[in-house]
Amino acid sequence: MNAQAAGRPGELRFLDPAVLARLGTLELKARAVVEGLLSGLHRSPYKGFSVEFAEYRQYLPGDDLSTIDWKVYARTDRHYVKKFEEETNVDCHLLLDVSGSMGYGSRGVTKLEYGGLLASSLAFLMNRQRDAVGLTTFDDAIVTMLPPSARPSHLRSILVTLDQTTLGHRTDVSKPLHLMADGIGKRGLVVLISDLLDEPDRVVDGLRHFRFRGSEVIVFHLLDPAELTFPFERAARFRDIELGDEVMAVPSVVRQEYLDALQAAVERYKRELGSEGIDYRLIDTSTPLEFALISYLSTRGRRR
Amino acid sequence: MPAFLSPLFLIGVAAAAIPIAIHLFYRRTEPVIDFAAMRYLRGAPVEHSRRRRLRELVLLALRVTALVLLALAFARPYFSDAVAAGSGPATMVLIDTSASLSAPGRFEEARERARRAIQDAPATHAVGLAAFAQAADVIAPVSQDRAGALAALAQVKPGAGATRYRAALQGAAGAFHGRSGRIVVVTDLQQSGWDAASDGGIPEAIGVEVEDVGAPEANLAVMSLRVEGADAVAVIQSFSSRPATDQVIFAVDARRMGAVPVTLGPGASAEARVPLDGVASGAVSATITDGGGYAADNVRYAVLDAADAVSLMAVTATGHPSEALYLERALAVAEGTRGFRFRSVSGTSFSALAPEALQQVGVIAVLGTRGIAQRGRERLAEFVRGGGGLLVAAGPDVDPAILKEALGRVVQTSWALRPAAASGATLSFAPDDSRHPVFRVFGGAGTLGNVGFSRAVRIIIPPAGASVIARYSDGSPALVEERTTGGRVMVFGSDLNYRWNDFPLQPAFVPFIHETVRYLASPRTSRTEYLVGEIPGVPGVVNIAGGGRTLSGPPGEPDKARPTSRPVAINVDPRESDPTRMAAETFQAGISRLNAAAAQDAETDAQQQEDRQFLWWYGLLIMVVSLAAEGVIGRRLG
Repeated sequence: MNAQAAGRPGELRFLDPAVLARLGTLELKARAVVEGLLSGLHRSPYKGFSVEFAEYRQYLPGDDLSTIDWKVYARTDRHYVKKFEEETNVDCHLLLDVSGSMGYGSRGVTKLEYGGLLASSLAFLMNRQRDAVGLTTFDDAIVTMLPPSARPSHLRSILVTLDQTTLGHRTDVSKPLHLMADGIGKRGLVVLISDLLDEPDRVVDGLRHFRFRGSEVIVFHLLDPAELTFPFERAARFRDIELGDEVMAVPSVVRQEYLDALQAAVERYKRELGSEGIDYRLIDTSTPLEFALISYLSTRGRRR
Repeated sequence: MPAFLSPLFLIGVAAAAIPIAIHLFYRRTEPVIDFAAMRYLRGAPVEHSRRRRLRELVLLALRVTALVLLALAFARPYFSDAVAAGSGPATMVLIDTSASLSAPGRFEEARERARRAIQDAPATHAVGLAAFAQAADVIAPVSQDRAGALAALAQVKPGAGATRYRAALQGAAGAFHGRSGRIVVVTDLQQSGWDAASDGGIPEAIGVEVEDVGAPEANLAVMSLRVEGADAVAVIQSFSSRPATDQVIFAVDARRMGAVPVTLGPGASAEARVPLDGVASGAVSATITDGGGYAADNVRYAVLDAADAVSLMAVTATGHPSEALYLERALAVAEGTRGFRFRSVSGTSFSALAPEALQQVGVIAVLGTRGIAQRGRERLAEFVRGGGGLLVAAGPDVDPAILKEALGRVVQTSWALRPAAASGATLSFAPDDSRHPVFRVFGGAGTLGNVGFSRAVRIIIPPAGASVIARYSDGSPALVEERTTGGRVMVFGSDLNYRWNDFPLQPAFVPFIHETVRYLASPRTSRTEYLVGEIPGVPGVVNIAGGGRTLSGPPGEPDKARPTSRPVAINVDPRESDPTRMAAETFQAGISRLNAAAAQDAETDAQQQEDRQFLWWYGLLIMVVSLAAEGVIGRRLG
C-alpha cells in the first residue's frame, strides 16, 4: 500500500485522502483508515471503554502495564493483558450532505468523496465498537435513510449505500435536519457531515432540534482547500456548482473579502454551535481522515 | 451635407471590425471555474456576468468608436455647402447682356429667342432666367412660374460687361440646386468670351444648348484713351473687312475739347489726339458715333487726378501681427497722401480672399508661405499679372518651392538656402545700383552698410529680365528686381522681421521700406482705369475709396465729405469689341473642358471648407476621450 507521510518522522502516519480515494472498495478504505489509526494509538486512552471482558492476549512491549493480569502471571509466570469490549448502548446517526456543492474538489477528492470516506470510517469504527450506527443522506430532502443497527452485516449495508451515493440537488440543511430530529426516537449521537453552505441560522436551528431531543451532535464542516484559501490568480468567471450562475471576479481584488466572509461564517458556527453544546469541527478535505476520526474519538471520550 | 476630403481613408473604418471580431471570437478569454462556496464570494466586489456583458458591449462600442473616429479624422470630414438635390428637371435660360449685345437689333433678337426658350421648355421642367456678362445674375429663380420668368425677361437690358461664358455657366448651374436639366444659352457666341479664367464648372447632369443671335459684320471701338504730356490720345480700332470713317469727340468733364476725324482701313487702328489746354484734373472722354457696331465701346474715359496712398498687404505664416511687426511700424511712420495702408493676413486667409479684395492693394509682401493654398497661389500670380507689386522677403517662413509654383510663369527669380554664417562672420549689403529709385534717397551706401546679416539666402537670377540692385559683402545678390509683364517683383535675400539680420533696428530700414513699397506700387497706384466688372459700376468716371466705392456726388456737394476717395475711369473691356465669333461646336467643346476644371475647383473648395471647419480635430478629440473611457472601464473589468 502506498501510504504518504502526513507528518514528521515519529508522528502518526496517515493516508492522504487523494491516495485513499484511489483504493478499492469503500470497505477497504474504511478498514485501512480505522485499523491504521487504531494500531498506531499505542497509548490510546480510548481503548477499553467497555467493561465486558473479551479475551486475554500475551503482553507485548508497549502495552499498558495496568492492563496486565497479575493473577494469571502468578499462575502461569507469563504476562497477559486483559481485553474488554465496549458496550453498545449508543445509537449513532451519520448524516451526510449529498447536495451539489459537495461535488466540489480541487485536489482530486471531492467533499462528497471525503465525506463518504469519513462516514464509512466512522461506521466501521462504531460497528467495531458495537455501537449501533445508521446513515442518512440528504440534499434539500432526505435521499436515503438506514436506521441504526449494531449488527456486523449492517455495516455492509451502510458501505454499499455510501458507495452508491450520487450528488443531489441544492443545499438545504435545515429541512432534512428537522425531519430526522423528529424521526429519532432514542437519544443518541448525531454526526453531521456537510459543507454547511446554507444559511447559518437555519443550520443551527436544525441542529438545535437534535439537542432538544437529547442527542449529542458532532458537526464535521467540510471545506475544500481552495474554498479555504481562494488560491486563484487570474481573473475568471466563477460558476456556482449548484445553481449554474456566474460572476466575474479578479481574485486579487476579492480574495480578502471572501476569506473574511468565510472566516466570519466559521466563527459564527463555532460560537453558536458551541453555545448549544454541539461539537464543531472544520475539516480541510486535504487533511488525512484520521484527524477527523481522532476528533470523533476525543468527543466520545469526553462524553463518557 | 457631410463630405470627405480624403475619402480613401474611410477604408480604415473597416478596422472597426477588429475589436468586433475579437469580441465575438475571443470573448471567453477568462477561464470558467466551477466553485461551491459562492455565497461567500457574492459579498465581495464581483461582477455579475450580465452586467459584465453590458460593460463589454460598452467597451466594444468605445473601441469601435475610437477606430471609426480615427479613420474619419484622416478622411478629413467637412460639411459641404452644396445644397441637397431638388426635385424634377429644370430649364435655365441664360441670356447674354454683355457689351457685344449692344449692337442694333441684337438684344431684341436675344430677348425673343429667350422668350421662346422659356415658352418651349418641356412641360415637366421648372424654368428660370439669368442674365450674364462677367457672371450670371439669376433674375427669375427656377420655378414653375413661366409668366414670372417672361416678365423678368422684359426688364432685361444689355450692359457694358465683357463676356465670361465659364463663370456665367457656373452661376447658372448653381441655380439648379442639385436638379438635372439644361441651360439654354442665348448669346452671340463671341470668341473672346472663352478667354477669361474660370472658377468653376457645371455638373454632368446639366446639358447646355446654344441659341445663336448672330453678330454685326463691322464694329468700331475706342480701344484706349491716355494722356501724353498735354494731349489726350485715343486709339480707334476697326473690326471690319471694309474701310470705315468716324469722328472722335474729346471732352473733359462734359466740356468739349475737340473732334478728330479718323479713317480706318479693314481691321486697322488709328490714333486721335487733342490738346487738353492745361487741364490737369477731371475726367476726359473720347467718343465715336459707330452706328452699326457695338454701342458700349463707342466711348472711353480717363482721369487726370493724382494717385492715393499705397496699400500693402503682408502675407505671413499665421497672420499674427508680430510676424510683420517691423514692416508695419516702418510703414506707420508715413502719414497723409504719402502714407501707406497696411494689412496683415495669414496664408490661409489670403487664399480665401476674393479677387475684388486685392483690387485696392498696391503691393503684397510675402513674409510667410505657410497656408497658401492653390487658390491663393493663383491669386498671387493674377495679382502680379494685373500690375501689382510683389516683395518677397526670403526669410525662414518663406518656402521658395511654393512661390516657384505660384509664380512660375510670371517670376523666374528663385533662391536656395545656404548655411548660416560662421560664428562672428556677418554679412552687410550695399546698393549695386545707387541710382535705382529704392536707393536714390540714401545717396550711396549710407547707413545701409551698418546692417548685419547673420543669415541670407543664395538668390538665383534668371538669365534675362532680372537685375541685381543690392549685393551682400561677399558679392552675392541681396536684392533682385524682376520686371514682369505685369507688376514689379523684388526678392530680398533675407527676412524683414529681425530674425536673420538687424536691419529693422537700423535707421536705414524705414526709408528703405518706404522707397521699396512706393517703387513696387507705382504701376498700380497710378492705375486710374478699370474695366467693367473689375469694380462695380457702368462705363464712366467714379470715385473709389478704401475697399468700396462712392459715386461722384451731385454738383455742389463738398468733396471733403469723401476725403479718401479718388476718381477712376471704368471702361469696356477692349476684348469685348472684337466681334469674331466661334462655332457652336467650339462652345460645347469648351464646356467639356470646363467640367474637368470644375472637378479641380471643387476639390479646392472642399479643402478650404474643411480647413475652416476643422472637424477632424474634434474627431480626434472625441477619439481620445473614447480611449480614456475605454481605459477606465477596461481597468475595472480586470
